[in-house]
Amino acid sequence: MPTPNGRYPRSHSTFSWPFRRTDTAVAIVYLSNMLRSVAARRLLTHFVSPGRSAAAPALRRLSTPASPQPNQPHTSSEQLQGEHPNPTHGASASSRATGEDGEPHLRRGGAGPRARGDYEEEQARVLRAAVPHVVRFGWSESALIAGARDVGLSPSIVGSFPRKEAALVEFFMDDCLQRLIDRIDSGEELKDLILSDRLSKLIRIRLEMQAPYISKWPQALSIQAQPVNLPTSFKQRALLVDEIWHAAGDTGSDIDWYVKRTVLGDFRDTWKFLGHRIKDAFDLQKTVKEAAYLAEAVAAGMGNSVQGAMRRLFQG
Amino acid sequence: MNDMMSAGLHRLWKDRLVSKLHPFPGMKHLDVAGGTGDVAFRVLESINSVSRRAIQDGLAETEEETQIYICDINPNMLNVGKKRAIERGLGENHCLHWIEGDAEALSFEDGSMDGYTIAFGIRNVTHVEEALAEAYRVLKRGGRFLCLELSHVELPIFKQLYDYYSFSVIPAMGELVAGDRESYQYLVESIRRFPNQEAFARMIVDTGFEKIEYENLVGGVVAIHSGLKL
Repeated sequence: MPTPNGRYPRSHSTFSWPFRRTDTAVAIVYLSNMLRSVAARRLLTHFVSPGRSAAAPALRRLSTPASPQPNQPHTSSEQLQGEHPNPTHGASASSRATGEDGEPHLRRGGAGPRARGDYEEEQARVLRAAVPHVVRFGWSESALIAGARDVGLSPSIVGSFPRKEAALVEFFMDDCLQRLIDRIDSGEELKDLILSDRLSKLIRIRLEMQAPYISKWPQALSIQAQPVNLPTSFKQRALLVDEIWHAAGDTGSDIDWYVKRTVLGDFRDTWKFLGHRIKDAFDLQKTVKEAAYLAEAVAAGMGNSVQGAMRRLFQG
Repeated sequence: MNDMMSAGLHRLWKDRLVSKLHPFPGMKHLDVAGGTGDVAFRVLESINSVSRRAIQDGLAETEEETQIYICDINPNMLNVGKKRAIERGLGENHCLHWIEGDAEALSFEDGSMDGYTIAFGIRNVTHVEEALAEAYRVLKRGGRFLCLELSHVELPIFKQLYDYYSFSVIPAMGELVAGDRESYQYLVESIRRFPNQEAFARMIVDTGFEKIEYENLVGGVVAIHSGLKL
């Protein structure tokens, strides 16, 4: 259950979960591939994105919110109900039911003051409660049903979630991102590391959040890879990478080597692997630079020889 | 007659209703005005298929037993339903309960149902608001209300075709097949008299439900309204 400040508590007990190298390796390669492409971008644009505003970033939830923008006159009094941090992004917000007609029409409901944000709150509560069940049931409706029961709601509510399992995965991703942001903001340990180490650290923090669910991770990835879910997954990943780069470029506070405090155990090899991949990403940057120089040299050389040939031609 | 009038589509519509409901094992479901059992059987089948999968996954979360209540004001319809259950081999099934009752005054306790469906029944209820209020009362928090009903068509050309079909073909069919033109004339008129999709959705909102949606099937000939109790 979430702690009073809304944070999801980490369960260290699950570190005894058998270490699955392949799954983590997939995750790391995936992330470092992303970094590679980002590194390439940096090479081209020559700048590290400062991006964020100084104020504490409010997490933009990308997991599908259930509410559309209502425009019915009689609910206008309820429209002013409180800020909701759920703007609707690319991923479709309304339930796309597919009848022969296929056009769902939505209407915010509710008699009384709790109308507006209520559904999303309840949905978020169910999703949050469902995450611990993922270890047992996978990213599935069963996990959602168990979550609903935990929260004291009828599991029927799961039937009203658009894109159920995807919503759960996306919620988890958003939650991890928020926790990563919180960790970064709490002024941790990043200052005195060189860039690649900083990146390793950040990625490791992020991956540790996934560690308890590692056995079901391929399922999560496959859900996110479904065409209908892709827009949201891309956005979430872009945000994550952005966040990591920003934090890596940021100057943090005291170094306080988290490694010593973590139960590393089986994950040592993972972190070594991670370090190598990050270095590869940088090597690629170097390689690309070198390749660019080589190309220039070759062009120059070629130009010379062509010029030489032309001269000889015209002289000869 | 249902088959003839809807060209068999009513089966698909009911399938769609139940798939929207997303039944789960251990559910307590109430189907009102569904005496012949069409919706109830579908719910049961859906749950049984889910259970089978769940058991395969090594789960045994179905300690709570699924209960499906079929409520109808007309005992003859209930009898037809019971007979059909026997034909399908569900005669001894302890999940199905056939109850005579009025949609405007249900005999179930507050907050006792996970799901409530009413298929082609709410149009015949005298006081629709009371039926909706009763639905709200018996549902648990998180429970869903789903209503499948004939509704209004607005699409330009299709509307003319549909009106022609309704007022010319259906009463004639009724006379030929059932020998009862009047009833089918009344049927078609009562569809027009019932509130349209938006108005009905507003009524559901006013009862207290949240996240009201409706889905038109066949251009609005049929609409499924759904709401959530929070």
